[in-house]
Amino acid sequence: MAKEIYFDDINIGDAMPALVKDPVVKVQLVKYAGASGDFNLLHTDPEIGKAVGIGGIIAHGMLIMGFVGQAITDWIPKKYLRKFGVRFVGMTRPGDVVKVTGTVTDKKEAGSDKVIVCDVTAKNQQGAVLVSGSFEAALPTRGLY
Amino acid sequence: MADKSAIGKEYPPFTWEVERGKVRELVQAIGDDNPVYVNREVAIQEGYADVVASPTFGTVPVMWKEVGKKILEDLNVDYARILHGEERYEYYEEIYPGDILTGRTKIISVKTKSGKAGDMDMITRETLYANQRNELVLKVTTVTVERK
Repeated sequence: MAKEIYFDDINIGDAMPALVKDPVVKVQLVKYAGASGDFNLLHTDPEIGKAVGIGGIIAHGMLIMGFVGQAITDWIPKKYLRKFGVRFVGMTRPGDVVKVTGTVTDKKEAGSDKVIVCDVTAKNQQGAVLVSGSFEAALPTRGLY
Repeated sequence: MADKSAIGKEYPPFTWEVERGKVRELVQAIGDDNPVYVNREVAIQEGYADVVASPTFGTVPVMWKEVGKKILEDLNVDYARILHGEERYEYYEEIYPGDILTGRTKIISVKTKSGKAGDMDMITRETLYANQRNELVLKVTTVTVERK
């Protein structure tokens, strides 16, 4: 079993464990296209990227959101996740090394749920923001008080 | 420019069978090696009924069913000028292999915003998924940006 995580043990300002991904590679974008059904050639054919003035292929934004989802569910089990959303800010290219970080910004009660709110950001090796967003997770508590 | 008369329009429901391989392919492409997405025994130990769909899986049926493409065509959006602006999920129940999802998509808003790079239309659509037991499982909200 993965280690249980409790609402009581999380504090506002806590950092989510950072995730540093392996460099994005072209074959990963081909795999992501097939897995996701997003066959926009912007993500796999450099000629298209050159034609529209972005210089080459760029990763699917949803792949980077997937990295963020990985970072979140490495820390908080998927079953506790209630909301997750991002804005797509910057372009990711093959060779980029994406780092995902997060910070707990709030703890709240929603009905009977004890919910943490956390900001999340993915940046490239130059520190440029690729996606930024947040998630909410309803966590168990350490017994009754 | 996006056609604002379509705000509120609901699209006919689509169905999508969740395949185990599709759940696995997505995490493999991402490089997410969390076993709850691929290993049934571990997933059950962790409190799931089977391997479970990963957090961004909800966008996959929409792409394969080309729901978004149809909507953007209806709105007369120029495909060469679009960007994915935002993606948001609200999770209600887990999604498992074998589930038959029914997705209902509607256009929530079409707004024009002025930015540094000029005017943009922000098209927000929402897909609500129910499973074969008619349980609401997931809401996906997508914002597409059309640069002018």
